[in-house]
Amino acid sequence: MKHFWWKLISVILILGSIIMGFLGEVPRLNILNETIRNLYFHVPLWFAMLVQMGVSCFFSLKYLSSYKLKNDLTASCAAYVGGMFALPGLITGSIWATYTWGKPWVADDPKMQGVMAAMIVYMVYYLLRALIPDMQTKARISAVYNIFAFCMTFVFIMIYPRLAPSSLHPGNGGNPAFGKYDMDNSMRAVFYPACVGWILMSFWLLNILNRYKKLQYKLEHHENLE
Amino acid sequence: MNSDRIIALLKKEFLLEFRQKTSLASILLYVLSTVFIFFLSFKSNIKPDAWGILLWIVLFFAAINAASKSFFTEGKARSLYNYTLYHPTEFVISKILYNILLLALVALCSVLCFAWLVSYPVQNSLLFFITIITGIIALASSLTLMSCIASKTGNNYSIMSLLSMPVCIPVLLLCLRLTRNAIDGLDWSVSYKYITGLCLIDVLIIGLSLFLFKYLWRE
Amino acid sequence: MKIWNNFNTNKILFLGFIFFTAPSTFAQQAVPQMADTFRAEGKIYVVVSVLSVVFLCLAAYLVIIDRKLKKLEDQHKK
Repeated sequence: MKHFWWKLISVILILGSIIMGFLGEVPRLNILNETIRNLYFHVPLWFAMLVQMGVSCFFSLKYLSSYKLKNDLTASCAAYVGGMFALPGLITGSIWATYTWGKPWVADDPKMQGVMAAMIVYMVYYLLRALIPDMQTKARISAVYNIFAFCMTFVFIMIYPRLAPSSLHPGNGGNPAFGKYDMDNSMRAVFYPACVGWILMSFWLLNILNRYKKLQYKLEHHENLE
Repeated sequence: MNSDRIIALLKKEFLLEFRQKTSLASILLYVLSTVFIFFLSFKSNIKPDAWGILLWIVLFFAAINAASKSFFTEGKARSLYNYTLYHPTEFVISKILYNILLLALVALCSVLCFAWLVSYPVQNSLLFFITIITGIIALASSLTLMSCIASKTGNNYSIMSLLSMPVCIPVLLLCLRLTRNAIDGLDWSVSYKYITGLCLIDVLIIGLSLFLFKYLWRE
Repeated sequence: MKIWNNFNTNKILFLGFIFFTAPSTFAQQAVPQMADTFRAEGKIYVVVSVLSVVFLCLAAYLVIIDRKLKKLEDQHKK
Protein backbone atom coordinates (compact mmCIF):
# COMPACT_ATOMS: atom_id res chain seq x y z
CA MET A 1 0.00 0.00 0.00
CA LYS A 2 2.87 2.36 -0.64
CA HIS A 3 1.00 4.03 -3.50
CA PHE A 4 -2.07 4.56 -1.42
CA TRP A 5 -1.86 8.32 -1.08
CA TRP A 6 -3.30 9.29 -4.50
CA LYS A 7 -6.22 6.92 -4.05
CA LEU A 8 -6.90 8.60 -0.72
CA ILE A 9 -6.67 12.03 -2.35
CA SER A 10 -9.18 10.93 -5.00
CA VAL A 11 -11.67 9.76 -2.35
CA ILE A 12 -11.21 12.94 -0.29
CA LEU A 13 -11.66 15.22 -3.32
CA ILE A 14 -14.80 13.45 -4.52
CA LEU A 15 -16.22 13.37 -1.01
CA GLY A 16 -15.45 17.08 -0.73
CA SER A 17 -17.24 17.72 -4.03
CA ILE A 18 -20.30 15.81 -2.78
CA ILE A 19 -20.44 17.80 0.46
CA MET A 20 -19.56 21.22 -0.91
CA GLY A 21 -21.47 20.56 -4.11
CA PHE A 22 -24.69 20.51 -2.13
CA LEU A 23 -23.87 22.98 0.62
CA GLY A 24 -21.85 25.55 -1.34
CA GLU A 25 -23.12 28.76 -2.86
CA VAL A 26 -24.12 28.66 -6.52
CA PRO A 27 -25.23 31.48 -8.79
CA ARG A 28 -28.99 31.87 -9.15
CA LEU A 29 -29.83 31.24 -12.79
CA ASN A 30 -33.02 30.85 -14.72
CA ILE A 31 -33.90 27.44 -16.13
CA LEU A 32 -30.85 25.84 -14.51
CA ASN A 33 -31.87 26.70 -10.94
CA GLU A 34 -30.45 24.11 -8.54
CA THR A 35 -29.51 21.77 -11.38
CA ILE A 36 -26.37 23.82 -11.91
CA ARG A 37 -24.95 21.60 -9.18
CA ASN A 38 -24.93 18.80 -11.76
CA LEU A 39 -21.84 20.52 -13.10
CA TYR A 40 -19.88 19.02 -10.20
CA PHE A 41 -21.00 15.48 -10.95
CA HIS A 42 -21.69 15.28 -14.68
CA VAL A 43 -18.81 17.20 -16.23
CA PRO A 44 -15.96 15.47 -14.31
CA LEU A 45 -17.15 12.18 -15.82
CA TRP A 46 -16.36 13.59 -19.25
CA PHE A 47 -12.96 14.80 -18.14
CA ALA A 48 -12.19 11.36 -16.73
CA MET A 49 -13.38 9.76 -19.97
CA LEU A 50 -11.24 12.03 -22.14
CA VAL A 51 -8.18 11.43 -19.96
CA GLN A 52 -8.67 7.66 -20.10
CA MET A 53 -9.06 7.73 -23.88
CA GLY A 54 -5.88 9.79 -24.08
CA VAL A 55 -4.14 7.22 -21.87
CA SER A 56 -5.44 4.47 -24.14
CA CYS A 57 -4.08 6.24 -27.23
CA PHE A 58 -0.73 6.82 -25.49
CA PHE A 59 -0.33 3.15 -24.63
CA SER A 60 -1.31 2.14 -28.16
CA LEU A 61 1.49 4.35 -29.45
CA LYS A 62 3.81 2.80 -26.89
CA TYR A 63 2.79 -0.65 -28.06
CA LEU A 64 3.53 0.17 -31.69
CA SER A 65 6.99 1.39 -30.78
CA SER A 66 7.87 -1.56 -28.55
CA TYR A 67 5.52 -4.46 -29.49
CA LYS A 68 5.13 -5.36 -25.81
CA LEU A 69 1.75 -6.94 -25.11
CA LYS A 70 1.46 -5.38 -21.68
CA ASN A 71 1.16 -1.94 -23.28
CA ASP A 72 -1.68 -3.16 -25.45
CA LEU A 73 -3.36 -4.61 -22.37
CA THR A 74 -3.16 -1.24 -20.62
CA ALA A 75 -4.53 0.49 -23.72
CA SER A 76 -7.54 -1.81 -23.87
CA CYS A 77 -8.15 -1.49 -20.12
CA ALA A 78 -8.04 2.31 -20.38
CA ALA A 79 -10.53 2.18 -23.24
CA TYR A 80 -12.83 0.05 -21.07
CA VAL A 81 -12.56 2.42 -18.10
CA GLY A 82 -13.17 5.38 -20.42
CA GLY A 83 -16.28 3.67 -21.71
CA MET A 84 -17.41 2.98 -18.15
CA PHE A 85 -17.21 6.73 -17.47
CA ALA A 86 -18.79 7.69 -20.80
CA LEU A 87 -21.92 5.64 -20.18
CA PRO A 88 -23.03 7.38 -16.93
CA GLY A 89 -21.88 10.65 -18.50
CA LEU A 90 -24.23 10.09 -21.41
CA ILE A 91 -27.14 9.05 -19.18
CA THR A 92 -26.72 11.88 -16.67
CA GLY A 93 -26.33 14.34 -19.53
CA SER A 94 -29.56 13.08 -21.04
CA ILE A 95 -31.42 13.43 -17.74
CA TRP A 96 -30.08 16.93 -17.21
CA ALA A 97 -30.94 17.93 -20.78
CA THR A 98 -34.52 16.70 -20.37
CA TYR A 99 -35.15 19.28 -17.65
CA THR A 100 -33.10 22.19 -18.96
CA TRP A 101 -33.12 21.91 -22.75
CA GLY A 102 -36.51 20.23 -22.92
CA LYS A 103 -35.47 17.03 -24.66
CA PRO A 104 -33.25 14.09 -23.75
CA TRP A 105 -31.41 14.31 -27.05
CA VAL A 106 -30.95 17.69 -28.68
CA ALA A 107 -30.29 17.94 -32.38
CA ASP A 108 -28.60 21.34 -32.36
CA ASP A 109 -25.80 20.40 -30.06
CA PRO A 110 -22.64 19.16 -31.79
CA LYS A 111 -21.00 18.15 -28.51
CA MET A 112 -23.65 15.54 -27.80
CA GLN A 113 -23.34 14.11 -31.29
CA GLY A 114 -19.57 14.09 -30.88
CA VAL A 115 -19.76 12.17 -27.66
CA MET A 116 -22.17 9.68 -29.20
CA ALA A 117 -19.73 9.20 -32.08
CA ALA A 118 -16.94 8.65 -29.54
CA MET A 119 -19.00 5.98 -27.82
CA ILE A 120 -19.62 4.24 -31.15
CA VAL A 121 -15.92 4.43 -31.99
CA TYR A 122 -14.94 2.70 -28.78
CA MET A 123 -17.64 0.06 -29.15
CA VAL A 124 -16.23 -0.67 -32.61
CA TYR A 125 -12.79 -0.86 -30.99
CA TYR A 126 -14.00 -3.55 -28.57
CA LEU A 127 -15.70 -5.37 -31.46
CA LEU A 128 -12.51 -5.27 -33.51
CA ARG A 129 -10.58 -6.73 -30.59
CA ALA A 130 -13.12 -9.50 -30.26
CA LEU A 131 -12.90 -10.37 -33.96
CA ILE A 132 -9.17 -11.06 -34.18
CA PRO A 133 -8.07 -14.19 -32.34
CA ASP A 134 -4.28 -13.88 -32.52
CA MET A 135 -2.87 -11.80 -29.64
CA GLN A 136 -0.14 -9.95 -31.52
CA THR A 137 -2.24 -9.20 -34.60
CA LYS A 138 -5.11 -8.09 -32.40
CA ALA A 139 -2.81 -5.77 -30.49
CA ARG A 140 -1.29 -4.27 -33.63
CA ILE A 141 -4.51 -3.74 -35.58
CA SER A 142 -6.49 -2.41 -32.65
CA ALA A 143 -3.65 -0.07 -31.70
CA VAL A 144 -3.71 1.44 -35.17
CA TYR A 145 -7.48 1.81 -35.09
CA ASN A 146 -7.33 3.25 -31.59
CA ILE A 147 -4.86 5.99 -32.55
CA PHE A 148 -6.79 6.89 -35.68
CA ALA A 149 -10.13 6.86 -33.89
CA PHE A 150 -8.79 8.91 -30.97
CA CYS A 151 -7.59 11.63 -33.34
CA MET A 152 -10.90 11.72 -35.20
CA THR A 153 -12.87 11.74 -31.96
CA PHE A 154 -10.68 14.53 -30.66
CA VAL A 155 -11.41 16.51 -33.82
CA PHE A 156 -15.08 15.83 -33.36
CA ILE A 157 -15.34 16.69 -29.67
CA MET A 158 -12.87 19.55 -29.49
CA ILE A 159 -12.75 21.24 -32.87
CA TYR A 160 -16.05 20.63 -34.62
CA PRO A 161 -18.20 22.20 -31.86
CA ARG A 162 -16.19 25.40 -32.22
CA LEU A 163 -16.93 25.49 -35.93
CA ALA A 164 -20.61 24.69 -35.62
CA PRO A 165 -22.93 27.69 -35.61
CA SER A 166 -25.07 26.66 -32.68
CA SER A 167 -24.43 24.78 -29.49
CA LEU A 168 -26.26 24.56 -26.21
CA HIS A 169 -23.14 23.55 -24.37
CA PRO A 170 -21.14 26.28 -22.71
CA GLY A 171 -18.14 27.93 -24.25
CA ASN A 172 -18.79 27.44 -27.94
CA GLY A 173 -21.02 28.55 -30.77
CA GLY A 174 -21.57 31.95 -29.22
CA ASN A 175 -23.56 30.54 -26.35
CA PRO A 176 -22.68 32.21 -23.05
CA ALA A 177 -24.16 29.49 -20.76
CA PHE A 178 -21.52 28.46 -18.26
CA GLY A 179 -18.60 30.24 -19.87
CA LYS A 180 -19.52 33.29 -17.85
CA TYR A 181 -20.82 31.57 -14.76
CA ASP A 182 -17.81 29.31 -14.47
CA MET A 183 -16.02 32.46 -13.44
CA ASP A 184 -17.89 32.24 -10.17
CA ASN A 185 -15.02 31.48 -7.82
CA SER A 186 -17.00 29.53 -5.23
CA MET A 187 -18.07 27.12 -7.97
CA ARG A 188 -14.58 26.84 -9.35
CA ALA A 189 -13.28 25.88 -5.93
CA VAL A 190 -15.56 22.85 -6.00
CA PHE A 191 -15.50 22.04 -9.71
CA TYR A 192 -11.75 21.73 -10.34
CA PRO A 193 -11.03 19.52 -7.30
CA ALA A 194 -13.98 17.33 -8.34
CA CYS A 195 -12.44 16.91 -11.81
CA VAL A 196 -9.06 16.00 -10.33
CA GLY A 197 -10.76 13.58 -7.93
CA TRP A 198 -12.69 11.78 -10.65
CA ILE A 199 -9.65 11.61 -12.95
CA LEU A 200 -7.62 10.06 -10.11
CA MET A 201 -10.51 7.68 -9.47
CA SER A 202 -10.45 6.62 -13.13
CA PHE A 203 -6.73 5.91 -12.80
CA TRP A 204 -7.44 3.81 -9.72
CA LEU A 205 -10.00 1.75 -11.64
CA LEU A 206 -7.55 1.42 -14.53
CA ASN A 207 -4.90 0.23 -12.10
CA ILE A 208 -7.18 -2.44 -10.62
CA LEU A 209 -8.46 -3.64 -14.01
CA ASN A 210 -4.96 -3.73 -15.46
CA ARG A 211 -3.56 -5.75 -12.53
CA TYR A 212 -6.50 -8.14 -12.72
CA LYS A 213 -5.96 -8.73 -16.45
CA LYS A 214 -2.24 -9.26 -15.97
CA LEU A 215 -2.89 -11.78 -13.21
CA GLN A 216 -5.43 -13.53 -15.41
CA TYR A 217 -2.90 -13.76 -18.22
CA LYS A 218 -0.32 -15.14 -15.81
CA LEU A 219 -2.68 -17.81 -14.52
CA GLU A 220 -3.69 -18.83 -18.04
CA HIS A 221 -0.27 -18.87 -19.68
CA HIS A 222 1.92 -19.62 -16.64
CA GLU A 223 4.27 -16.79 -17.50
CA ASN A 224 4.52 -13.08 -16.96
CA LEU A 225 3.05 -10.79 -19.57
CA GLU A 226 5.80 -9.08 -21.51
CA MET B 1 10.29 6.47 -51.38
CA ASN B 2 10.22 7.05 -55.07
CA SER B 3 7.71 8.81 -57.29
CA ASP B 4 8.37 6.46 -60.23
CA ARG B 5 7.35 3.50 -58.15
CA ILE B 6 4.22 5.29 -56.97
CA ILE B 7 3.25 5.95 -60.56
CA ALA B 8 3.99 2.34 -61.45
CA LEU B 9 1.77 1.15 -58.61
CA LEU B 10 -0.98 3.51 -59.73
CA LYS B 11 -0.74 2.19 -63.26
CA LYS B 12 -1.02 -1.34 -61.94
CA GLU B 13 -4.16 -0.43 -59.98
CA PHE B 14 -5.82 1.14 -63.00
CA LEU B 15 -4.85 -1.75 -65.22
CA LEU B 16 -6.42 -4.15 -62.75
CA GLU B 17 -9.52 -2.00 -62.52
CA PHE B 18 -10.03 -1.83 -66.27
CA ARG B 19 -9.23 -5.47 -66.81
CA GLN B 20 -12.16 -6.47 -64.61
CA LYS B 21 -14.68 -3.72 -65.30
CA THR B 22 -17.37 -5.29 -63.18
CA SER B 23 -16.35 -3.67 -59.89
CA LEU B 24 -16.39 -0.10 -61.23
CA ALA B 25 -19.57 -0.82 -63.16
CA SER B 26 -21.26 -2.20 -60.06
CA ILE B 27 -20.47 0.96 -58.09
CA LEU B 28 -21.78 3.20 -60.87
CA LEU B 29 -24.86 1.04 -61.18
CA TYR B 30 -25.40 1.36 -57.44
CA VAL B 31 -25.24 5.16 -57.75
CA LEU B 32 -27.60 5.22 -60.70
CA SER B 33 -30.19 2.94 -59.12
CA THR B 34 -30.12 4.78 -55.79
CA VAL B 35 -30.59 8.14 -57.49
CA PHE B 36 -33.40 6.66 -59.56
CA ILE B 37 -35.12 5.52 -56.34
CA PHE B 38 -34.73 9.06 -54.99
CA PHE B 39 -36.31 10.42 -58.15
CA LEU B 40 -39.21 7.98 -57.90
CA SER B 41 -39.87 8.91 -54.29
CA PHE B 42 -39.31 12.68 -54.50
CA LYS B 43 -40.52 13.37 -58.07
CA SER B 44 -37.97 16.18 -58.52
CA ASN B 45 -39.58 18.49 -55.95
CA ILE B 46 -36.85 17.64 -53.50
CA LYS B 47 -35.82 20.22 -50.91
CA PRO B 48 -32.29 21.64 -51.33
CA ASP B 49 -31.27 20.50 -47.82
CA ALA B 50 -32.35 16.96 -48.52
CA TRP B 51 -30.56 17.07 -51.88
CA GLY B 52 -27.19 17.65 -50.20
CA ILE B 53 -27.80 15.01 -47.55
CA LEU B 54 -28.87 12.38 -50.08
CA LEU B 55 -25.90 13.17 -52.32
CA TRP B 56 -23.46 12.63 -49.46
CA ILE B 57 -25.18 9.45 -48.31
CA VAL B 58 -24.91 8.01 -51.82
CA LEU B 59 -21.29 9.18 -52.07
CA PHE B 60 -20.33 7.79 -48.67
CA PHE B 61 -21.67 4.31 -49.27
CA ALA B 62 -20.35 4.21 -52.82
CA ALA B 63 -16.98 5.25 -51.38
CA ILE B 64 -17.08 2.44 -48.82
CA ASN B 65 -17.88 -0.02 -51.61
CA ALA B 66 -15.12 1.31 -53.81
CA ALA B 67 -12.43 1.60 -51.15
CA SER B 68 -13.11 -1.73 -49.48
CA LYS B 69 -11.79 -3.47 -52.58
CA SER B 70 -8.37 -1.89 -52.32
CA PHE B 71 -7.07 -4.55 -49.94
CA PHE B 72 -9.54 -7.43 -50.20
CA THR B 73 -8.45 -8.25 -53.73
CA GLU B 74 -4.85 -8.72 -52.66
CA GLY B 75 -4.09 -12.29 -51.82
CA LYS B 76 -1.49 -13.45 -49.32
CA ALA B 77 1.06 -14.24 -51.98
CA ARG B 78 0.77 -10.92 -53.73
CA SER B 79 1.03 -8.94 -50.51
CA LEU B 80 4.21 -10.85 -49.63
CA TYR B 81 5.55 -9.92 -53.05
CA ASN B 82 4.64 -6.27 -52.38
CA TYR B 83 6.42 -6.29 -49.02
CA THR B 84 9.67 -7.21 -50.66
CA LEU B 85 9.36 -4.65 -53.46
CA TYR B 86 7.89 -1.47 -52.01
CA HIS B 87 8.26 0.88 -49.13
CA PRO B 88 4.99 1.08 -47.11
CA THR B 89 4.73 4.84 -47.64
CA GLU B 90 4.91 4.46 -51.43
CA PHE B 91 2.36 1.73 -51.26
CA VAL B 92 -0.14 3.67 -49.17
CA ILE B 93 0.32 6.86 -51.18
CA SER B 94 -0.46 5.00 -54.38
CA LYS B 95 -3.51 3.41 -52.78
CA ILE B 96 -4.78 6.75 -51.49
CA LEU B 97 -4.21 8.46 -54.85
CA TYR B 98 -5.98 5.66 -56.64
CA ASN B 99 -8.92 5.84 -54.24
CA ILE B 100 -9.11 9.62 -54.60
CA LEU B 101 -9.28 9.31 -58.39
CA LEU B 102 -11.82 6.50 -58.16
CA LEU B 103 -13.99 8.45 -55.73
CA ALA B 104 -13.74 11.57 -57.89
CA LEU B 105 -15.12 9.53 -60.77
CA VAL B 106 -17.90 8.18 -58.55
CA ALA B 107 -18.68 11.68 -57.28
CA LEU B 108 -18.80 13.08 -60.82
CA CYS B 109 -21.18 10.32 -61.86
CA SER B 110 -23.44 10.76 -58.87
CA VAL B 111 -23.65 14.54 -59.31
CA LEU B 112 -24.45 13.99 -63.00
CA CYS B 113 -27.09 11.43 -62.07
CA PHE B 114 -28.62 13.81 -59.55
CA ALA B 115 -28.58 16.68 -62.05
CA TRP B 116 -30.08 14.51 -64.75
CA LEU B 117 -32.75 12.67 -62.79
CA VAL B 118 -33.53 14.83 -59.77
CA SER B 119 -32.28 18.42 -59.89
CA TYR B 120 -29.20 20.59 -59.56
CA PRO B 121 -30.04 23.30 -57.01
CA VAL B 122 -26.44 24.42 -56.34
CA GLN B 123 -25.94 28.17 -56.69
CA ASN B 124 -22.25 28.39 -55.88
CA SER B 125 -20.72 25.67 -58.04
CA LEU B 126 -17.09 26.52 -57.26
CA LEU B 127 -17.66 26.10 -53.52
CA PHE B 128 -19.52 22.88 -54.22
CA PHE B 129 -16.60 21.61 -56.30
CA ILE B 130 -14.07 22.49 -53.57
CA THR B 131 -16.25 20.75 -50.98
CA ILE B 132 -16.48 17.58 -53.05
CA ILE B 133 -12.72 17.50 -53.68
CA THR B 134 -11.65 18.09 -50.07
CA GLY B 135 -14.32 15.75 -48.77
CA ILE B 136 -13.23 13.03 -51.16
CA ILE B 137 -9.57 13.38 -50.17
CA ALA B 138 -10.53 12.90 -46.51
CA LEU B 139 -12.87 9.99 -47.25
CA ALA B 140 -10.43 8.23 -49.57
CA SER B 141 -7.49 8.40 -47.19
CA SER B 142 -9.41 7.31 -44.10
CA LEU B 143 -11.24 4.56 -45.99
CA THR B 144 -7.93 3.23 -47.34
CA LEU B 145 -6.64 2.74 -43.80
CA MET B 146 -9.95 1.27 -42.65
CA SER B 147 -10.10 -1.18 -45.53
CA CYS B 148 -6.59 -2.35 -44.64
CA ILE B 149 -7.74 -2.88 -41.03
CA ALA B 150 -10.90 -4.64 -42.20
CA SER B 151 -8.94 -6.94 -44.48
CA LYS B 152 -6.90 -8.09 -41.47
CA THR B 153 -10.00 -9.27 -39.65
CA GLY B 154 -10.47 -12.15 -42.06
CA ASN B 155 -12.15 -10.48 -45.02
CA ASN B 156 -15.24 -9.38 -43.19
CA TYR B 157 -17.06 -6.93 -45.46
CA SER B 158 -19.56 -5.78 -42.85
CA ILE B 159 -16.83 -4.65 -40.47
CA MET B 160 -15.62 -2.18 -43.11
CA SER B 161 -18.66 0.09 -42.95
CA LEU B 162 -18.78 -0.31 -39.19
CA LEU B 163 -15.16 0.79 -38.84
CA SER B 164 -15.38 3.75 -41.15
CA MET B 165 -18.76 5.13 -40.13
CA PRO B 166 -17.78 6.76 -36.82
CA VAL B 167 -14.41 8.08 -37.99
CA CYS B 168 -15.97 9.67 -41.07
CA ILE B 169 -18.78 11.47 -39.24
CA PRO B 170 -16.85 14.74 -38.66
CA VAL B 171 -15.82 14.86 -42.32
CA LEU B 172 -19.36 14.18 -43.48
CA LEU B 173 -20.85 16.81 -41.16
CA LEU B 174 -18.47 19.50 -42.39
CA CYS B 175 -19.14 18.50 -46.01
CA LEU B 176 -22.90 18.65 -45.43
CA ARG B 177 -22.62 22.13 -43.93
CA LEU B 178 -20.49 23.35 -46.84
CA THR B 179 -22.79 21.77 -49.41
CA ARG B 180 -25.74 23.53 -47.82
CA ASN B 181 -23.85 26.83 -48.02
CA ALA B 182 -23.11 26.13 -51.69
CA ILE B 183 -26.73 25.28 -52.42
CA ASP B 184 -27.99 28.42 -50.69
CA GLY B 185 -25.32 30.48 -52.45
CA LEU B 186 -24.12 32.03 -49.21
CA ASP B 187 -21.25 34.48 -49.08
CA TRP B 188 -17.75 32.99 -49.16
CA SER B 189 -16.89 34.55 -45.80
CA VAL B 190 -19.38 32.21 -44.12
CA SER B 191 -17.68 29.13 -45.52
CA TYR B 192 -14.00 29.97 -44.98
CA LYS B 193 -13.71 28.47 -41.51
CA TYR B 194 -15.37 25.24 -42.61
CA ILE B 195 -13.07 24.93 -45.62
CA THR B 196 -10.06 25.51 -43.36
CA GLY B 197 -11.39 22.93 -40.91
CA LEU B 198 -11.92 20.39 -43.68
CA CYS B 199 -8.42 21.01 -45.08
CA LEU B 200 -6.93 20.56 -41.61
CA ILE B 201 -8.83 17.27 -41.23
CA ASP B 202 -7.48 16.22 -44.67
CA VAL B 203 -3.92 16.90 -43.58
CA LEU B 204 -4.48 15.11 -40.26
CA ILE B 205 -5.98 12.02 -41.88
CA ILE B 206 -3.32 11.76 -44.57
CA GLY B 207 -0.57 12.24 -42.00
CA LEU B 208 -2.07 9.57 -39.74
CA SER B 209 -2.48 7.14 -42.65
CA LEU B 210 1.14 7.57 -43.71
CA PHE B 211 2.32 7.17 -40.13
CA LEU B 212 0.11 4.22 -39.19
CA PHE B 213 0.19 2.18 -42.38
CA LYS B 214 3.67 0.80 -41.86
CA TYR B 215 2.49 -0.84 -38.65
CA LEU B 216 -0.45 -2.43 -40.40
CA TRP B 217 0.82 -4.09 -43.49
CA ARG B 218 3.58 -6.39 -42.31
CA GLU B 219 2.48 -9.66 -40.82
CA MET C 1 -57.19 69.47 2.31
CA LYS C 2 -53.85 69.19 3.85
CA ILE C 3 -54.27 65.50 4.22
CA TRP C 4 -55.46 65.23 0.65
CA ASN C 5 -52.45 67.19 -0.48
CA ASN C 6 -50.23 65.02 1.59
CA PHE C 7 -51.77 61.93 0.10
CA ASN C 8 -51.22 63.28 -3.36
CA THR C 9 -47.59 64.01 -2.70
CA ASN C 10 -47.24 60.57 -1.27
CA LYS C 11 -48.87 59.12 -4.32
CA ILE C 12 -46.56 60.99 -6.63
CA LEU C 13 -43.61 60.02 -4.53
CA PHE C 14 -44.81 56.43 -4.61
CA LEU C 15 -45.22 56.49 -8.38
CA GLY C 16 -41.80 58.04 -8.74
CA PHE C 17 -40.41 55.39 -6.44
CA ILE C 18 -41.93 52.65 -8.55
CA PHE C 19 -40.77 54.30 -11.74
CA PHE C 20 -37.17 54.54 -10.64
CA THR C 21 -36.92 51.26 -8.87
CA ALA C 22 -38.96 49.24 -11.33
CA PRO C 23 -36.00 47.66 -13.07
CA SER C 24 -34.52 46.45 -9.80
CA THR C 25 -37.84 45.15 -8.43
CA PHE C 26 -38.49 43.33 -11.68
CA ALA C 27 -35.04 41.88 -11.46
CA GLN C 28 -35.84 40.77 -7.93
CA GLN C 29 -39.01 39.08 -9.12
CA ALA C 30 -37.02 37.39 -11.88
CA VAL C 31 -34.61 35.86 -9.36
CA PRO C 32 -34.71 32.17 -10.20
CA GLN C 33 -36.26 29.91 -7.64
CA MET C 34 -33.88 27.81 -5.62
CA ALA C 35 -34.58 25.22 -2.98
CA ASP C 36 -34.15 27.77 -0.21
CA THR C 37 -36.73 26.38 2.23
CA PHE C 38 -35.28 22.91 1.81
CA ARG C 39 -31.92 24.35 2.78
CA ALA C 40 -33.33 26.44 5.62
CA GLU C 41 -34.97 23.41 7.20
CA GLY C 42 -31.58 21.75 7.29
CA LYS C 43 -32.80 18.74 5.35
CA ILE C 44 -29.96 19.20 2.89
CA TYR C 45 -27.60 17.80 5.51
CA VAL C 46 -29.56 14.56 5.42
CA VAL C 47 -29.05 14.26 1.68
CA VAL C 48 -25.37 15.12 1.93
CA SER C 49 -24.74 12.62 4.71
CA VAL C 50 -26.57 9.84 2.87
CA LEU C 51 -24.63 10.46 -0.33
CA SER C 52 -21.35 10.67 1.57
CA VAL C 53 -21.99 7.36 3.28
CA VAL C 54 -22.91 5.70 -0.03
CA PHE C 55 -19.77 7.01 -1.69
CA LEU C 56 -17.53 6.11 1.26
CA CYS C 57 -18.89 2.57 1.28
CA LEU C 58 -18.15 2.20 -2.43
CA ALA C 59 -14.66 3.63 -1.93
CA ALA C 60 -14.06 1.25 0.98
CA TYR C 61 -15.18 -1.66 -1.17
CA LEU C 62 -12.75 -0.52 -3.87
CA VAL C 63 -9.97 -0.52 -1.27
CA ILE C 64 -10.92 -4.04 -0.22
CA ILE C 65 -10.85 -5.24 -3.85
CA ASP C 66 -7.50 -3.56 -4.28
CA ARG C 67 -6.07 -5.36 -1.24
CA LYS C 68 -7.50 -8.73 -2.28
CA LEU C 69 -5.91 -8.32 -5.69
CA LYS C 70 -2.62 -7.41 -4.03
CA LYS C 71 -2.77 -10.55 -1.91
CA LEU C 72 -3.46 -12.68 -4.98
CA GLU C 73 -0.62 -11.04 -6.87
CA ASP C 74 1.76 -11.78 -4.01
CA GLN C 75 0.62 -15.41 -3.93
CA HIS C 76 1.43 -15.91 -7.59
CA LYS C 77 4.67 -13.99 -7.62
CA LYS C 78 6.83 -17.11 -7.04
